[in-house]
Amino acid sequence: MTREELYTIAQNWFQQQNWKPFKFQKDTWNAFLQGKNGLLNAPTGSGKTYALWFPIVLNYIKKNPGYKSNHKKGLKAVWITPLRALSQEIKQSAERVTHDLNTQMTVGIRTGDTTTKERAQQKKQMPDLLITTPESLQLLLATKGYDKIFKDCSAIVVDEWHELLGTKRGVQMELALSRLKTICRDLRIWGISATIGNLEQARQVLLGPASKALQNSVMIRANLKKKITVKSIIPKKMETFPWRGHLGLHLLEYVVPIINNSKTTLLFTNTRSQCEIWFQKILEKHPEYAGEIAMHHGSINKETRYWVENAIRNETLKAVVCTSSLDLGVDFAPVETVVQIGGPKGVARFLQRAGRSGHRPGKESVIHFLPTHAIELIEASALQQAVKQNAVEDRIPYLNSFDVLLQYLTTLAISNGFFPKEIFHEVRQTFCFQDLSQDQWQWLLNFLVMGSQSLQSYDEYKKVEVEENGKFKVNNRGVAMRHRFQIGTIVGDANLTVKYQKGGYIGTIEEFFISKLNKGDVFTFAGRNLEFIRIKDMQVFVKNSKKKTSKVSSWMGSRLTLSAQMSKLLREELYTSREDPEKQSVEIRSLSHLFKRQRRESIVPRSEEFLIETFKTRDGYHHLFYPFEGRFVHEAMGSLLGYRISLLAPITFSLAFNDYGFELLSDKEIDIQQVIDNNLFTADHLLDDLQKSLNATEMARRKFRDIAIISGLVFTGYPHKGIKMKHLQSNSQLLFEVFRDYEPENLLFQQAFIETFQHQLEEGRLRLSLERIAEQKIIWKPCKNPTPFAFPLITDRLSRERLSSEKLTDRIKRMAAILAKK
Amino acid sequence: MHPTGSLFWKERSILLISDVHLGKVSHFRKFGAAVPQKAILKNFVLMDEAINFFHPQDIIFLGDLFHSSLNKEWQLFEKWAHSRTSKMVLVVGNHDIISPLKYENLGIEVVPELQIDGFLLTHHPEEREGFFTFSGHIHPAVRLHGAGRQSLRLSCFFKTKYQMILPAFGAFTGSHVLETDTHNEIFVMAHNEVLKI
Repeated sequence: MTREELYTIAQNWFQQQNWKPFKFQKDTWNAFLQGKNGLLNAPTGSGKTYALWFPIVLNYIKKNPGYKSNHKKGLKAVWITPLRALSQEIKQSAERVTHDLNTQMTVGIRTGDTTTKERAQQKKQMPDLLITTPESLQLLLATKGYDKIFKDCSAIVVDEWHELLGTKRGVQMELALSRLKTICRDLRIWGISATIGNLEQARQVLLGPASKALQNSVMIRANLKKKITVKSIIPKKMETFPWRGHLGLHLLEYVVPIINNSKTTLLFTNTRSQCEIWFQKILEKHPEYAGEIAMHHGSINKETRYWVENAIRNETLKAVVCTSSLDLGVDFAPVETVVQIGGPKGVARFLQRAGRSGHRPGKESVIHFLPTHAIELIEASALQQAVKQNAVEDRIPYLNSFDVLLQYLTTLAISNGFFPKEIFHEVRQTFCFQDLSQDQWQWLLNFLVMGSQSLQSYDEYKKVEVEENGKFKVNNRGVAMRHRFQIGTIVGDANLTVKYQKGGYIGTIEEFFISKLNKGDVFTFAGRNLEFIRIKDMQVFVKNSKKKTSKVSSWMGSRLTLSAQMSKLLREELYTSREDPEKQSVEIRSLSHLFKRQRRESIVPRSEEFLIETFKTRDGYHHLFYPFEGRFVHEAMGSLLGYRISLLAPITFSLAFNDYGFELLSDKEIDIQQVIDNNLFTADHLLDDLQKSLNATEMARRKFRDIAIISGLVFTGYPHKGIKMKHLQSNSQLLFEVFRDYEPENLLFQQAFIETFQHQLEEGRLRLSLERIAEQKIIWKPCKNPTPFAFPLITDRLSRERLSSEKLTDRIKRMAAILAKK
Repeated sequence: MHPTGSLFWKERSILLISDVHLGKVSHFRKFGAAVPQKAILKNFVLMDEAINFFHPQDIIFLGDLFHSSLNKEWQLFEKWAHSRTSKMVLVVGNHDIISPLKYENLGIEVVPELQIDGFLLTHHPEEREGFFTFSGHIHPAVRLHGAGRQSLRLSCFFKTKYQMILPAFGAFTGSHVLETDTHNEIFVMAHNEVLKI
């Protein structure tokens, strides 16, 4: 069949639906059928699934003209989605195509939710089109004879690639693709991405920076313009506006009319616990909504999630309180309005959420912004600018993630075994490992085989063996089994299953939360009040309770930070605070009260000023710094400055950070003049000082936790199987110390530091902001009372870092003295 | 009390050591988790340090001497045990699953518990009428708070009216924070000192 004839098939189908294919869809069909790889930049709900399902099916038709009667079995395409919740939707659109075009192609899903029975069936006979997650794809590579499964696979589509890029799951994908490029005889690789700052790089990472695949590829942009309107919720009475709430519940009544005036409203919260609380409070204050509102987040069981998603589609719900779990994919046409509670911290995320409403081409998207504390209104104002300028952030891909590489190599060793020479070549083709040296490679191989760099007596290390022909292979069934379980835990939290005593799965919860509970305690989870009964075999048993409780399940989750773009816009908005009210945005104008109070004790910095405030409270001496650069940069700058100050004299700090500034709290006073005189904000010796300050704080330790889990140093047990492996569980903190004391040269240990630099502390951004500060005038304001700017920082009790240059014994003695006084 | 986490009973010349968890590193390695091998020797170094300081006649291990089933670290332990002249006794803990015969071959007595002069030595903490107990098992630690929102977590000796719980001696072991009240006495280990809180 000629290409023209194939297009006619597709065009006819669109006509039957009374649709017209978009240009980007036709461009994609064209490029795909020409055998090209590519990256498709298209938003959710634009018809991106049809852009790629069609050519996949058409390509099969082309190769098999007798497709209507004579079906050729075997896997033909794999569709990767980062969220398994999306797989149903994708399957439906694929089935529409395969069915309407009268092919006999089958579509299957393989994710963590797939039953063992189904999986076994798939193993015997793969569906023609498979929808799966990056983890499940890795698991397929851990299957014996995987090369035969993928031999005739013609396409891999990686959906929501922007979500994977910049995560270790993205690295997992890069590695899997490097293998599939070799074993699939006729393969096209396609990514689909929402708009991000570094789309070109996204294509390179997907296809390999110097690869033939990249040369033979295209970038297709959907360019669908969408009008987005941002409306801030501004409380009528500013006086009663609390400085810090983080939850925004005091504005709950402002949300009610929004919900009432629209068919379906999504309320986005930033954390799962915030989501739980909002849901509970809305029902408490407005019981009339019972049955009409629901909750959706990643830790709720999948039946409930499906139910909620379907209810949104059927328009049976007034409102859904949700987290980023509803950011992606699923197309919800009935959603009319979106409310964002608290700062979304990033422009891309905000745009994506805004795009959930008015989901039909040409329709306007409306998003309401509900600030959780006063200063967030500045953020709201900055967001409006961002939307106008379409200033979207980059997603920074990982480099040299040795933990993921070790996991991948073990995966290959479990299934077919591998020959290092062949795999080294493939791995070097990926973006992540383009600079992998021969020495590092040898180190990794030694690590897999010997668990160290030289063979030692008394050692019984067992993992990968080298066979006579040089093939690396795992022959121990226990090792293989544990590894397979570990693959899914790349995001790795110690999750426990929450179940009713009588049976019935409710969701998963992190161990750290449960460990604080005692028998009989009542907590809120999945919108229910539950009484904690006991933990057994990694399962938490509960029963319903009528008791009221203030304990809301919480997750450590990732804390979000302001992006560089957002920080810049935020500062610019702040500088307008002294301008003529006529020129200000509504948000800034409404904050005049706050600025006035800020000026009473201190100043609102101008663009050429850098503000430092100091004051004393019952808690000790507070020293506050306001770079307005986003949480992560503040974390880095705070530890850096803390470290440098601690060199002047022995001192201990407790550090707090938010998106606007950071605080160094101590039981001693710092002489700020000395900080200025010694030029402690200098960008000189940045790396060295930062490295040392990292040793003094806990950041690298926390990074190491994930690395230890992914690389298989720590075994998390079998959370869903309820099998405890207590004798093999260890605390990654402990492990961190063991490595620090005995094997500091270990690549995995070092990786913890490098990752902290690059991804947590954003060293590059830190340097830029230090350079900016160097040009500013430092204004030091000793205050009598906490200022409005200081308030959210000094009241943060949860997420504090520590840094000390004092002798441990001195600190203990002082603390003991305080204890004795009580 | 010694900063290694051991406790010396001077009148009787007995050194008490609890929860060493020997063999843990090797056990992990055997199951494919590459914990640095050099960490194995640390426990032996620490035991030597405590023994050379007190020169005890007897050493009593309050349980969990060996973390797991037999592995090659046992051979290191055999060598070490031969090199020491003190008499050794093991009060069995929940992790001690290696056959008592293996210990007895090394001249180490294995008992479920010991009673000496009104003192009870066990692995699991227990308050028994007429006795003051020495035990381990819990790996006690304490959290201290100071001004300026400072806090520290340190492993400790935990003494109540009727018993004393020893910290875990082993280098590769975790700890468990206990709540304290004014009736308890806490001793924390900091570098080369034991400090009373």
